[in-house]
Amino acid sequence: MSKNEERGLFARREILKWSAVAGVAVAGTTILSGTSAFASAAEGSLKGKRIGISTAGTDHFFDLQAYNAQIEEVKRLGGEPIAVDAGRNDGKLVSQLQTLIAQKPDAIVQLLGTLTVIDPWLKKARDAGIPVLTIDVGSTHSLNNSTSDNWGIGKDLALQLVSDIGGEGNIVVFNGFYGVTPCAIRYDQLVNVVKYFPKVKILQPELRDVIPNTVQDAFTQITAILNKYPEKGSIKAIWSAWDIPQLGATQALAAAGRTEIRTYGVDGSPEVLQLVADPASPAAADVAQQPGELGRTAIGNVARLLAGETLPRETYVPALLANKANVNDVTKKLGIG
Amino acid sequence: MSVEAVPFGGSQQGGSEPAQTRGFGASSGTAGRRIATLLLRGGSLAVFVAVLIVFSVTAPYFLSVGNIGNVLGQSAIAGVLAIGLTVVMIAGGGNVVTGGIDLSLAANMGLSAAVYAALSQAGFGDAVAVAGALAMGLAIGIVNALAITLAGIVPLLATLAVMNVVAGLELVLTQNTVIPATGDLLTLLSGSGPFDIPVLAYVLIGFTLVAALVVQATPLGLRLYAVGEFPEAARASGLSVKPFIAGAFLFSGFCGGIAGILSVSYLSGSTTGAGDLLLPVVVTALLGTVFSRRLVPTVIGTLLSALFVSFLVNGFQLLNLSSTLVSGVQGLLILFVVSATTLLRKQETSA
Repeated sequence: MSKNEERGLFARREILKWSAVAGVAVAGTTILSGTSAFASAAEGSLKGKRIGISTAGTDHFFDLQAYNAQIEEVKRLGGEPIAVDAGRNDGKLVSQLQTLIAQKPDAIVQLLGTLTVIDPWLKKARDAGIPVLTIDVGSTHSLNNSTSDNWGIGKDLALQLVSDIGGEGNIVVFNGFYGVTPCAIRYDQLVNVVKYFPKVKILQPELRDVIPNTVQDAFTQITAILNKYPEKGSIKAIWSAWDIPQLGATQALAAAGRTEIRTYGVDGSPEVLQLVADPASPAAADVAQQPGELGRTAIGNVARLLAGETLPRETYVPALLANKANVNDVTKKLGIG
Repeated sequence: MSVEAVPFGGSQQGGSEPAQTRGFGASSGTAGRRIATLLLRGGSLAVFVAVLIVFSVTAPYFLSVGNIGNVLGQSAIAGVLAIGLTVVMIAGGGNVVTGGIDLSLAANMGLSAAVYAALSQAGFGDAVAVAGALAMGLAIGIVNALAITLAGIVPLLATLAVMNVVAGLELVLTQNTVIPATGDLLTLLSGSGPFDIPVLAYVLIGFTLVAALVVQATPLGLRLYAVGEFPEAARASGLSVKPFIAGAFLFSGFCGGIAGILSVSYLSGSTTGAGDLLLPVVVTALLGTVFSRRLVPTVIGTLLSALFVSFLVNGFQLLNLSSTLVSGVQGLLILFVVSATTLLRKQETSA
């Protein structure tokens, strides 16, 4: 655990430095809110507290890291985690939340999940007097949402994309999870950026990425699109709101020999970062979130809240855009190299 | 002679006669089987009760009215589906491969829910949405019934094919996205009733009682069992088998529609992944047989089985144990039940 902590601290310092150097537009606010969250997390205590930790699933790198980090952080701060994993099944998610509310924990932290499905139950938790915090869920019933700055992520990824393709050409977009807030924000940012590049076109109809079998499905869909647009240059880039469809799309491009097309995604899954690092791979950029840091931040916020502090509406944890030029630095800084 | 009298008396004859001859031939085998049946049934009930007692003692909140109500409510969707499947198993016979099975039930629920949510989203009222969802479920039941009774396809394959078609239609309708839905009916269903118990719990109890009354206490129900267990005898006594089988699939389709509506209320809309429910529903219906007197599918047995699984999941969470253990426990139970009933059946046929 102390090793983890050290790595965390090291990574934090490095990331702060890195994002400052990068000069992202939102860097100022990110660092400010980020530092305050980190500083307090170290002081907080959850001794004798039972913290409900509910996740939509743990089948992706992102949610597994964030989930485990929360459990460890609760234990580190002396509390008892009640952790439930819905395995990406909405019915199970709701049942678990319902039972969790009956267990009357000192707080509930919800990680991901479709807003319309979980929102009524987050409200029921609040009605039952249980503080609710969230990670990557923009619910009005959440006291504090720890999240990556998805506006920044969306904008950075979109700018990288249009600059890579020289501000013109067709792009293929996976937009299957507009109901999931972070995905919606990233997509909206793409649309906002593309609006000012009239020669960039989002091909219609947009593709729907699916869970489960995301990779195979993306592979199939992209293979079909490539058959529909056989000419080189007729498609310039493929965008998805996370990087598992990007993985399938990249594989499909490699299989079809259409490596002139570039792929873009978000989450920093190790296998995708590896592809970005491969000069021959069409994977052009992946914005890496720091899931472990998100989990620790949320639990730190719980400790602050239970200690009587007032929390900001959102706590932003910095994200790192990895492209062909800097991917090795980013993976090193994320500690997953 | 009235239509009622012939099949009723006939099926009774068909049922009692083999039992008597068997009694002469192998009385020790029958006695052994009776004891084994009793042990299995008593054993499973004892396990259920023991699990409840252990959780009551060890798990905080387990015995509270609110928690038990929650568990009942959480079992409603799978329970309604499993009862639909139970009726199909009764009418089609207990053999999983060649007998009555409806694999399209979970997909049916998904599509019916999607129809409800889509209608509600399009501005239609609760009544239209309910009618749409139930009609969708019933339509799927009709397709199943036609494929099995007219085309003569084995239920396992027919409903497997229908399942794929239905799942595909759901994808087309929803584009694999979540369709949120709100309405007075949904608010009512997802809320709490008397004693602060979820309305869904009352729905499950009410639905089970009605289904149990019809299946276990009317001539219609008796004929269903006759058709499933002794189709030849049923035919010989003047019962036409096919309408009963078709009717069972219509009923299970209707159950899919009802479960669809419950699911929309529980999840505040239609969501993806309805297919995940298929195996739990099949497991629930199969496991239900151990809670019946003669190890046959019954409505109450299925309810107990659904509650048993839900109580396990609930108790594990209250004890802060990993819920992943539940599927292991469930798998072991199924293996135990299926091997025990298979052995008993073998004994019966050899005797």
